[in-house]
Amino acid sequence: MSKEKGKRDVLAFMCAECGQGAAVTAGVARLGYSTSIKIIRVKCSGLVGPIQIMDALKNGADSVAVIGCCFQACHFFNGNFLSMHRIKLMKKLFKEMGYSDQMINHYTARAAEGETAVGDFEDAIERLLVAEKEGGTFA
Amino acid sequence: MKIGIFQLNGCDKCFNETYLLDKHINDNSKNEIFRVKNSEVEKWSEKDLDYAVVTGYITLENHEFVQKLSKIAKKVVGYGSCTTTGGIFGLAYQKGYDITPIAKIIPDTTLISGCLGEIEELSEILQGHPIKKSEILCTSCARKSTCEYLDEVTRQIDPQEDVESCFNDFGHLCSGYIANSCKEMCVDYGTACRGCKSSVDRAGFRMLGMFGTLMGNVEVATEATGKGGTDKLADVDDDVTESIPDVTGSFFRFNLANSVLPIGRNQSNGSIMSDIFIGRPIEELPLISGCIGGDHSISFTLDIIQAYEKGLIEDLPVSEKTVELRNNLLSLEKELNSALKASNVESYEKITNQIRKIAGNMNLSNLFFGGFKVPIDDSGDFEGYKKSIFEIREGDYQNGNIKYSLNSKGIVTKFEMEA
Ligand code: SF4
Ligand code: SF4
Ligand code: SF4
Repeated sequence: MSKEKGKRDVLAFMCAECGQGAAVTAGVARLGYSTSIKIIRVKCSGLVGPIQIMDALKNGADSVAVIGCCFQACHFFNGNFLSMHRIKLMKKLFKEMGYSDQMINHYTARAAEGETAVGDFEDAIERLLVAEKEGGTFA
Repeated sequence: MKIGIFQLNGCDKCFNETYLLDKHINDNSKNEIFRVKNSEVEKWSEKDLDYAVVTGYITLENHEFVQKLSKIAKKVVGYGSCTTTGGIFGLAYQKGYDITPIAKIIPDTTLISGCLGEIEELSEILQGHPIKKSEILCTSCARKSTCEYLDEVTRQIDPQEDVESCFNDFGHLCSGYIANSCKEMCVDYGTACRGCKSSVDRAGFRMLGMFGTLMGNVEVATEATGKGGTDKLADVDDDVTESIPDVTGSFFRFNLANSVLPIGRNQSNGSIMSDIFIGRPIEELPLISGCIGGDHSISFTLDIIQAYEKGLIEDLPVSEKTVELRNNLLSLEKELNSALKASNVESYEKITNQIRKIAGNMNLSNLFFGGFKVPIDDSGDFEGYKKSIFEIREGDYQNGNIKYSLNSKGIVTKFEMEA
C-alpha cells in the first residue's frame, strides 16, 4: 500500500454492535475524527485475532485498534473479552521481540455515546505517535 | 542417482539420521551419496546432482551457497525444522540473528519439517514419491481434547496422574493443534507437543490466538477505566500475561524465524546458545537442549538438569535408579559417537533405538528434573525413578560446562556454555 509521506494509517476493527454503533452516533452528532482512521466493520471483535492483526500490519497499517462492546455487554457472549486476552498476549510478544506494544490496542465503546468511539480513535493515534517516538514500530 | 547431503549450522542430528537412508531406500548402493559437513561445504565443487538435501539452520552467509545448490541440483530438499522454519535455533531471531527458512531463498524447495526430521519421509522424496499427507497430531494422540476454557495455565504437571485428558485441559500448553502426526511423539512421553512439525502456516500466531481464546476463564479486570470513557485494560499485566512468562518461546518455539514478525531487536548476549536459552523458563531448558544438542544432546541435557538438581539438593532428590538410567544414556551417547565416526549404520540404528527406549525419542522427551516422566519398559517400579514437581528458585546453577542463572519466576537471565 503506498502512502503519502507523513500520513499514518490506523486500522480500526469495529464490531457491528457497540463499536460501529458509537461511530455512527459520533457521525450523527457531527463529531470529527482523523482521516488516518480506516474502519473495517466486523460482526464481533471476538472474530479479530492475531492473523488479521498481523495481516493489517504487514500490508500497510501503522497500527491496529480492535473496538468492541463494553465488558459484560457483548451481543454474542464474550467476544470482546477473548479479543482482549489475545491482544494482551500479542502486546507481550511485541515487547519480548523488542518492539512497542502501542501499535496494537483494544478498546470498548458505547453505541449511545459517540465520543467513546472518537476517544478510542484519538487514543490509538496518540499511542502510535508514542511508539514512533520510541522507535518501536515495524517501519 | 547423485545425492548431496549438506550440514550447514548448529545441531547435526538430522545430518546423522541420513545415514539411515541405506536402510530405507531400495537399492541404495546404486546411488552415489556425498556427505558434506560444515567447513567443507563452501569448498564443495561437484557440478551436478539429482538431489541436494540441506540440514541445519541457514544464516546470511549461507544464502549464496544455497542458491548455488539450486543451480547444480535438479531438486533441493530442506530436511529438519532448522532448515525449513529456522527450528529452535530460530529463537535467536528474537535477538537479531538473521536465520532464514530455506523457502525464502529457494521457493520451490521440498520441505520436510520435524525436529528430528523423519527419515521415512526423506526416503520417500528421494525415491520420487510424494509424502503422504498426514493427519493433525491430536487425531493420533492418546489424549482427548475438549477445547474447554481454561481457569489457569500450569507450567508443570504430572503426566501420569491422568493419561487420557488433553494436556491443554490441565492448562499445560500443547501445540498438537497446529502439528502434524509425527514419529517422535513427545506427547507419548509426558511432554506437550512443542510444535516442530506444523500443519498450518503462521503456526505461532494461530497458537497464540487459540490460547488467548482458551484462556477465556482467566479472570482479568474489566471495569471501565473512566466515566463514559473507553476501556484500555489490555495494557494491564495480570494472570493472562503473567502465567505465560515467555510468549515467544511458548508459541513460536520452532517457527519464530518463519513467522511474519520482523527480526527481533533485543541485544544479543554474545553467542547463539545464550540467545536461545535466555528468556526461557527453567522447565523448557531440557526440552530445548534435547532437540538442539546434536551428537551430545544427552550430556548437554543432563548437565542442564543436574545443575538445577545440585542447586536444590534435597528439595529435588534424585534416586539411584534415575542415576543408573541416566548413566546408561551417557554410555549410549559415547557409543553413538563411535558409530558415527566409523560410519557404522547398523550400530547407529541399534544405539538410537536403545536411546529411544529410555529417553522416549531422539528429543529426549522423557528426561526431566528429578527423574523420568513416564515408565520405561523393563526398568522396575516407576516410583523408583519418577520425576517430581519441583519448585522454582532464583539463583546461579552450574554443572559440567553449563552455567545459568534464574530469576524469581524461573526465567533464565544468563546462560554460558564453555567450549
Ligand atoms: S535441532 Fe532438530 S531439526 Fe535441527 S538439526 Fe537438530 S534434530 Fe534436526
Ligand atoms: S492438544 Fe496435545 S495433548 Fe491435546 S489432543 Fe492434541 S496432541 Fe494430544
Ligand atoms: S509431538 Fe514432538 S515430534 Fe511430534 S510434532 Fe510435536 S514437537 Fe514435534
